[in-house]
Amino acid sequence: MQAPYRIGCDVGGTFTDVVCIGADGTTLLAKAATTPDDQSRGVLDGLGVLAGMLGLALPDLLAQTERLVHGTTVATNALLERRTARIGLLTTEGHRDVIEMREGLKPERYDLRLSPPAPLVPRRLRLPVRERIRADGQVEQALDEASLATAIETLRAEQVEAVAICLFHSWRDPSHEQAAGAAVAAALPGAYVTLSSDVLPQIKEFERFSTTVVNAAVGPIVATYLGRLERRLAEAGLRAPLFVILSHGGVAPVAEAARIAAGTALSGPAGGVAAGLALARAGLGQDLVTFDVGGTSTDVALIEGGEAALGRGRVVGGERIALESLDIVTLGAGGGSIAHVGAGGMMRVGPRSAGAVPGPACYGAGGTEPAVTDANLVLGYLDGARFLGGRRSLDLTAAQGAVERLGTKLGLGMMDCAAGIHALANIAMADGIRVATVRRGVDPRGFCLLAFGGAAGLHASAVARDLGMARVAVPLLAAGLSAWGMLQTDLRYEVSRSLIGATGLPDEPAIRALFAELETAARARMAEWMDGTPAIRRSADMRYGEQVFEVGVPLDAVDWNAPGLPAQIAESFHRRHEALFTYALRGEEVVLVTARVAAIGRLPALPVRELPPRPPAAPVAQRRAYVAGTVQDLPVYSFTALAPAQKLAGPAIVESDTTTVLLLPGDTAWLDARGWLEVAVGAG
Amino acid sequence: MPTLDPVTLAVLENRFRAVVEEMGEALLRTATSQILNSSRDFSIALCDAQGRLVAQADHIPVHVGAMPFAAEAVLQAFPGQMRPGDCFLLNDPWHGGSHLPDLTIVLPVFDRPRPDSDPRPAASDHRDGRSLVFLCVVRAHQSDIGGATHGGYNPSATEIWQEGIRIPPIRLGENDTLREDLVQMLALNTRIARDFRGDLMAMWGSARLGAKRLEALLAGHGAAKLNAATDAILDLAEAHARRIIAAWADGTWQGEAVLDDDGHGAQDVTIRATVTKQGGALTVDLTASDPQTLGFVNSSWPNTVSAVRMALAYLLDPEVAKNDGAFRPLTVLAKEGTVVRAAEGAAVTLCTSHCSNEIVEAVVKALANACPTRAMGGWGRRFRIAIQGTDPRRAGKKFVWHLFHARPGGGGHATGDGWSGAGEWHSAGGLKFGSVEMAEARFPLFFRRHEFLPGSAGDGQYRGGLGGELELVVETAGPARANTAGDGARHGAAGMLGGQDGAPHHYRLMPAQGTPRDLRTKETGVPLAPGDVLHVRSGGGGGWGDPAKRDPAARAADAAEGLI
Repeated sequence: MQAPYRIGCDVGGTFTDVVCIGADGTTLLAKAATTPDDQSRGVLDGLGVLAGMLGLALPDLLAQTERLVHGTTVATNALLERRTARIGLLTTEGHRDVIEMREGLKPERYDLRLSPPAPLVPRRLRLPVRERIRADGQVEQALDEASLATAIETLRAEQVEAVAICLFHSWRDPSHEQAAGAAVAAALPGAYVTLSSDVLPQIKEFERFSTTVVNAAVGPIVATYLGRLERRLAEAGLRAPLFVILSHGGVAPVAEAARIAAGTALSGPAGGVAAGLALARAGLGQDLVTFDVGGTSTDVALIEGGEAALGRGRVVGGERIALESLDIVTLGAGGGSIAHVGAGGMMRVGPRSAGAVPGPACYGAGGTEPAVTDANLVLGYLDGARFLGGRRSLDLTAAQGAVERLGTKLGLGMMDCAAGIHALANIAMADGIRVATVRRGVDPRGFCLLAFGGAAGLHASAVARDLGMARVAVPLLAAGLSAWGMLQTDLRYEVSRSLIGATGLPDEPAIRALFAELETAARARMAEWMDGTPAIRRSADMRYGEQVFEVGVPLDAVDWNAPGLPAQIAESFHRRHEALFTYALRGEEVVLVTARVAAIGRLPALPVRELPPRPPAAPVAQRRAYVAGTVQDLPVYSFTALAPAQKLAGPAIVESDTTTVLLLPGDTAWLDARGWLEVAVGAG
Repeated sequence: MPTLDPVTLAVLENRFRAVVEEMGEALLRTATSQILNSSRDFSIALCDAQGRLVAQADHIPVHVGAMPFAAEAVLQAFPGQMRPGDCFLLNDPWHGGSHLPDLTIVLPVFDRPRPDSDPRPAASDHRDGRSLVFLCVVRAHQSDIGGATHGGYNPSATEIWQEGIRIPPIRLGENDTLREDLVQMLALNTRIARDFRGDLMAMWGSARLGAKRLEALLAGHGAAKLNAATDAILDLAEAHARRIIAAWADGTWQGEAVLDDDGHGAQDVTIRATVTKQGGALTVDLTASDPQTLGFVNSSWPNTVSAVRMALAYLLDPEVAKNDGAFRPLTVLAKEGTVVRAAEGAAVTLCTSHCSNEIVEAVVKALANACPTRAMGGWGRRFRIAIQGTDPRRAGKKFVWHLFHARPGGGGHATGDGWSGAGEWHSAGGLKFGSVEMAEARFPLFFRRHEFLPGSAGDGQYRGGLGGELELVVETAGPARANTAGDGARHGAAGMLGGQDGAPHHYRLMPAQGTPRDLRTKETGVPLAPGDVLHVRSGGGGGWGDPAKRDPAARAADAAEGLI
């Protein structure tokens, strides 16, 4: 019998979400407390809860599981908390400070008393090796064995756990890095060795070196963690493959995630975007803004024409990671954001957060300042007795006290102060979305706001109104959507290579050879991961002669068999430039900097179950809540009891165990049988 | 005036900040020239109908305090004569600009038409009776502005007419359309007309986006409420700044900083600041500064005021809103005919770097007595090189390359050592140098070494950041030429409160054939030949506090890291 269960597992800051899709499409969400010291315990706990919900023993559940996809924050946390591996760097003599120079940039323009961050590798462990390759591949200085041996001796004496090997122009010729890597691996067995020409074979040394150093810094940690998880799952009875979702939104086997550990930095939030893409395919619409409101922050991403944009500008914990990753913008406003009177005397919400501990005042764990969640409780939007399905009760009195204290400072009554906190959180979210969309040259008004994460439903309608967006969608599975999304994405392997010369476009044979080489590598890798033929997608980073920024140009529309390949590629670039920046410079030299190939291995489609018809549900309660300037009684509907197509009119509250949706006056909403609440946002 | 509740005030303050941020993103995405889209040498401000700075996005510090001068210049040039859809442009340092390469667009934003039933005129009314509420101001550095040399920086210039085209406030557009005849005239006067037109369109687009957002806010809240919010935002910033200043010691102190030369014979050009701090107020008197010079290190008045404001912004908390209110505690005095307030017609192009950096340093030095834990050691001076030549790999194709590498160090401060390689006072870590690999691939240049320069930092209880070392091999096809523009080869970044000065810049030309020589900071047409090496050693940041008090563990760490 075919194993009927597919399981997605997302480790968040507070909860580990486990989503299971059964053979008939039935979808279940289980939650367990996250175990920060070893995330694999929380994963096993969550799987245990899920097995209980299914009435199965854990070994039976795992034995019947076809695949398990995991999103992990191990790499992210290591970078944020600076608990990284002890690493050494071998680099070209004369250039040992690349990662510390950071291209001359310093954050916080007006803070001249900000101290520079400690680099992931101290200077004394950034060891020069005498060698030099030129931009055109000529060897200026052959690899000097003596200097390599000296450097390796230092690494041995310093007992490093990992070694990054970052040499100039290795994107052009990796042979020096490979020889150095082999020598290090032989001399330091057990060390995690990573080459910049493996991690990111692209021109621009800061991006390549920084990414490779991050990879060395988190590689041993991620490899150890995933190895342990895989072992525990096998011991518990899992026989199916364990996949890890990567920052680019595709999944890969554990060995690959450990090899390019820096690529797991967005592993968690990537699941939310993957869910958005799946819902776009399911009929929600081709243009979405994903809006994931968590405790300390809000993640926003754009899906345009059913595609999510990738970018290479990611910074995590102050460290640049230039791997392809989903263009997710993180805003410093979430349920735990604290409202206060700023140093300048202005009322502010965030960026300071109450975090998971002590959390908002209403958690009763020692928080005394009002957080957004406290305001939402005071305003009557949340049910203190049934928060998270009753797993946690909220202390209304503590929330009121915290809000009232702030109100007194500002000369505001408690309710007005709470409404103000809620409004300022909405403004911060809306302004963040507006800036993120302008950055991409997109007008959000035609987009649908896809709200998920525990708290997004309370803010979505107001945020959409502010942005002029007419539609909001809140999935039934809002609180576990990232874990669900992990099951909706395919295997993905990215390979790239720079090919830049002094002149513009390479000739046709060179272009063909380059892409063919990349395609062969991508297919070979995918063949190790799955049977069947992968889809191949080509793209290139291109720019005009004197420009500095490259533009990512999809080449899927290029006819690879037709003649005039360079002309076709140049035209694709002109059109892309025109679409992004309103103009093209057709007389100008076109430069192809980096060629990219992605191999996509489609995983078997999952069964889908539409919600069955049922009689319309009546409100389950009335709740006094502050809406549009007055306290009024709002009907409260059970999200899970709604009938498909049943129409609701705002103001109203729709809630489940894990999420609450606030409908404002003028909103109408109905449950779509495919599993989301569709809100037509009112004008007022 | 309606009174505003704290929530509406906070909402509007957030909105104003979001508008300038969005304008900045829009400009960044659409600009044509590399100086804007890569180096981000531009700034955005929102001013009110009186020309007061309301909000700005954190871009280039030396621009920010100067933007209101542009708004005021336009208000003065077109009193009561603006209409919706107008677009104004200027660059002249005696008409609202700082130096010629910085082009500034000013776009008026009006309230909704007043109903016929309410015919009362207002002081801010303009041509069709509508009330001016805001001015969107966009300033961007141009890659060329005409004049005697390419790229705007002309060390040979002895008067402004050799530095580029002067533009007083002009009405460049009406009814949401730019006047093509004017655009064409301006474009003809620059060397790279395409970049000029592209950047101008991007600036105008950014300003129009800001106007659109503000019009929506006006429709929702009304002008009276927005004006009340502006007043309150400025008053809060003023109170915030004064609260901080009031905690400093009262008194009068002197600070001075010295430029090497003006390139035309004037040596040790000195900026002298006398700063009086009394309660919550500061007076910065620069009248004792040296007379104006022949060469282009003179400062225009807006640039000088901006440099002083920049110094104050650095000494306050970073959270203080940088707007008109925050600068109200400050009075700046200077005498016309001095290097800090050059008479009309003087050469001033270098002023956003020099003497801005020296003005900041003199003010910080004086105020180090009042707020020692806030003062920081000196940040670096700018010393740029531009190389023109041809590339043997691209037959006949000329190139121009600008040195942004090997940046000087930042200053130490009471809480830690300075940033290495983060640059000068005027940009403070805001200017990026490009990829060395990319430079090697695109230009006939070979970077033999590009690292921090050990020993360059000024010692102190907290030392300065390190400068950089660059060995650059010229591999052009045949001879090439270099221009330099900068300062700081004799005077390093100042040590503060007993800290030592950072090493000054030391650039050398090592010809393949012939005798090595030091490069001066203001040279034009330096001949280069293939195989020549430019050996750049940039200065380190100034130290803070007595070196004897430096933690021995920090010294040991510096030694282990190879920094001293």
